[in-house]
Amino acid sequence: VPGMNSGLSPSDPTLVAAFKSALLHQGAIVLLMLAFLWLLWATARTWRPAASPGKGGTAAGGAVEPRGRWLLRTGFGVLWIFDGLLQAQPKMAGGLATQVIEPIAASSAGWVQHLVSWGGTVWSYHPVQAGAASVWIQVGIGAWLIAAARGPWSRLAGAASVAWGLVVWVLGESFGGIFAPGLSWLTGAPGGVLFYVAAGALIALPEGAWRRPRSGRLVLAGLGVFCAGMALLQAWPGRGFWQGTAGGKAGTLSGMVKEMSATPQPRFLSSLLSGFASFAARYAFAVNLVVVIALAALGAVFLAGRPRLVRYAVWFGIVFCLADWVLVQDLGFLGGLGTDPNSMIPLILLFSAGYLALVPEVSGEMAGVSEAARDGEAGGADGAEKARDPGKARWLRPGTLRGLGKAVASARARSVAAAGALAVIVLGAAPMAAAAANRTADPILALAISGNSSRLDLPAPGFSLTDQDGRTVSLASLRGKAVLMTFLDPVCTTDCPIIAQEFKQAGQMLGAQAGHVELVAVVANPTYRSTAFTRAFDRQEGLTTVPNWLYLTGSLSQLGEVWRHYGVAVQNLPAGAMSAHNDVAVIIDPAGRIRQEMDADPGPGTSGTQSSFSVLLSQYARQALRQS
Amino acid sequence: VSRRAAGGAALLACTGLACAGLIAGCGSHPARVTSSGPPPAAPLSTSLSTSLVTAQGTWAVAVMGGPDAGNEFWQLFFRPATSGRWSLVTPQGVADNGGMVAAGGGAYLVVGFRPSQNLTFSPLATSTDTGRNWTPGLLDARLADTPGAIAVGPSGRTLALLQDGTIEAATAGSAAAGRWAPLTTLEALGASAPGRACGLEGVTAVSFGPDGNPMAAGSCARPGPAGVFTDAGGTWRSAGLGLPAGGRVRVLGLTSLAGGNMALLAAGSSRYAAWWDGTRWTVSAPVTAGGVRAAGFGPGGSAWLLLGGGRAEIVAGAAGGAWRALPPVPAGTEVLAPQGTGPLAPGTGGSYDALAAAGSRLTVWRLVRGAWAKVQQIAVPVQYGSSG
Repeated sequence: VPGMNSGLSPSDPTLVAAFKSALLHQGAIVLLMLAFLWLLWATARTWRPAASPGKGGTAAGGAVEPRGRWLLRTGFGVLWIFDGLLQAQPKMAGGLATQVIEPIAASSAGWVQHLVSWGGTVWSYHPVQAGAASVWIQVGIGAWLIAAARGPWSRLAGAASVAWGLVVWVLGESFGGIFAPGLSWLTGAPGGVLFYVAAGALIALPEGAWRRPRSGRLVLAGLGVFCAGMALLQAWPGRGFWQGTAGGKAGTLSGMVKEMSATPQPRFLSSLLSGFASFAARYAFAVNLVVVIALAALGAVFLAGRPRLVRYAVWFGIVFCLADWVLVQDLGFLGGLGTDPNSMIPLILLFSAGYLALVPEVSGEMAGVSEAARDGEAGGADGAEKARDPGKARWLRPGTLRGLGKAVASARARSVAAAGALAVIVLGAAPMAAAAANRTADPILALAISGNSSRLDLPAPGFSLTDQDGRTVSLASLRGKAVLMTFLDPVCTTDCPIIAQEFKQAGQMLGAQAGHVELVAVVANPTYRSTAFTRAFDRQEGLTTVPNWLYLTGSLSQLGEVWRHYGVAVQNLPAGAMSAHNDVAVIIDPAGRIRQEMDADPGPGTSGTQSSFSVLLSQYARQALRQS
Repeated sequence: VSRRAAGGAALLACTGLACAGLIAGCGSHPARVTSSGPPPAAPLSTSLSTSLVTAQGTWAVAVMGGPDAGNEFWQLFFRPATSGRWSLVTPQGVADNGGMVAAGGGAYLVVGFRPSQNLTFSPLATSTDTGRNWTPGLLDARLADTPGAIAVGPSGRTLALLQDGTIEAATAGSAAAGRWAPLTTLEALGASAPGRACGLEGVTAVSFGPDGNPMAAGSCARPGPAGVFTDAGGTWRSAGLGLPAGGRVRVLGLTSLAGGNMALLAAGSSRYAAWWDGTRWTVSAPVTAGGVRAAGFGPGGSAWLLLGGGRAEIVAGAAGGAWRALPPVPAGTEVLAPQGTGPLAPGTGGSYDALAAAGSRLTVWRLVRGAWAKVQQIAVPVQYGSSG
């Protein structure tokens, strides 16, 4: 998938350190924000004690939150927080694009790859910002869901869950792999995050909708259709699930489980998976038959919607899903760079919530029904709260600024916590949005490859060479301009063309300042060094129209002198190998002093690292212009 | 009622969302590896490995290193006419992972490097002292992937066949400066009268005719004629070569001889040699073969084919020579190289060296009294990993 791979190792120490540092800094900001909110709230309560909410919770005078909604809200809140913490794994910044997104996208349809490539490229260009943003957005949504129990803010949390879930499902999971071969309920189809989206949508519904058994019936019917469909897919012949081995290779299920068991994880889990893989290989037909029958039965019961049967089906489904979660999905987050616990826990939460909505508790929830009838569909609980506490009702209405102090003072702790969670999401989303809008890569990629450059203040050794057009160019003739200088072999097949592109791009990034900067390359090949080759190289790299590009050459003695003065070792190698030289970039200020020297080895030479080097070079050029 | 309906609709939407995954899932099927149509025909020639003979001695091009493409380096070996010892003479200063094409004429030996990775043009190297010193040259285009992509005349005039079928020409001096003049293109040659007559599909080799004019050879879509053309002052004419047996003819190689040319041809599973004395062609009897792993020309109108399964065929000397099988070549043989630089005795086919490559070691086997004998080993300092 083009653009997605920065080419750097996920455990690259520079990337990992930068990611940890970003998380620590942003974590400190989160703490400060929360402390500020608490201080604001406490101060408002001190100044306006009359406005403070009385003791006693929602249950004291009004309807309780429907149990199904509560289960979804808190359950998926915890899951989002857990996923956010998984996003904080040290290898996540450098590894998500290559180890999570790319493998799923690679087996998907072309248009999916094209779409996912955009997200993957944003991530691989800005791994630290994107990695940290994912942590805070997911932790924020989880905390918001847990904190905001009732009313519009709670429903907004559900909507946020839908929005972010869709982003993750499309860009992170390539639509849950539904456009890739090998789709199976056992392995997490149609993507665990799609269940987060469904749950978020249900949470976003008016609370009144949760107080009617019909809602539970609809949710269960949806799940019933899903289970029946998955049963059909599982039973479909020719997909390798009925066979333990095929053509000397392990069957689809046993092969996948065996592969999972080989990944790093606690030994007992590995043994458990390995044992199940052997079992599935031996009794593949029976195992698949059980899965197909179980899914079909669950589907039928959920579609029928008879409470007693559903109750048994839910208990059976919980056991069945947990078994799959442990034996097939390897708890979802083990075995590789896990980002979530996969589909089984969300699915358990969904059908449990469906059952609870089907059989609402008479005491509190039905009381809400009558209130809903009185207050309209806005939600009985909202109405009850409004009647109880008009100040809070205003505070809960987005867009109302009047009486803010009173509203803050009257806000409940849960509301303050929800506001804090929202601030955490914004903290994550803002840098990510800025990163997505920035088409150049983070310089951290270049620093990860080349290490920190050396800051210097030395007179640059002079030279007099010939440019690609046959004109004599000396360093003295470039006085008054910053010089980005490197050494390139015109017949190089690997690094030099990439470095030339980095220089070209750096020149473009300088914008109007490019007129004060010369991009200079000196030939680094003792044999292929005539202007015919520098011109051919320029044509190859599209440099003929770059006004401040100079590709200099000279006699072997002239070049040798420049190589020696700038510490560049150039050597022809035998047996058909490229001429060898060290990749170096020197930044010379307009006064002719070397200000910076960096390793210009382009590393993997991906579009991300190339852009990253260009950003770094343009930054150094600007510094050199300032330093003169 | 409307808000209630909205709630129900939202619930239905959620259900629909769950179903969307299901429907899409049902629509996807596991990828199946299927094949349609007949299996592709075995390639006629897959390698740039070859040998050629100049007045100074014998040159051989062979690929070494590996096994991955990035570690394959093409090497040039030379055996002086006065010695039986081979030496490594690969020009330095340029990576040759993309392939190497060599051609000799007069005192000149020109080597062209096919582009690879980020390089898009072809550096050249010319030697007039048996590979001790090399002068760099430039072809600012992609050299074609065929052993006959370069031809050198006695004066050093050079022809180059490009990847897109264009043919360019340069003198020895102008090639060093990268100044080439276009002679023709595949489209122009195909649209010419002889090109239309043969249904020219592609150009595979260039050479010089007995009068010093450029020649081009390729593959014909029409059965019968062989696509061998001569340039007469800007007009391309057919050289008049055809196979009596008919069938679509492809020219595997074309070289200059004293007062004429020699071509290696393929038609169906038959391989032929053909000699031209400037006025008429003489075609050998066919030899049956599948794919041709490598091919080359020897002195005095001889040629060799390296076939699959260790099989090798040679055709000797003067016009009308017959193909003769060599004993099975040693394992790893990349290229055959005839001994000597002068005309071989008619009917003998001369003696041959077989150059076998294994990683960075080249073993030279010599055909002595009907059997291959190991006569030399060369440790080639292959720079593994130097090309990324």
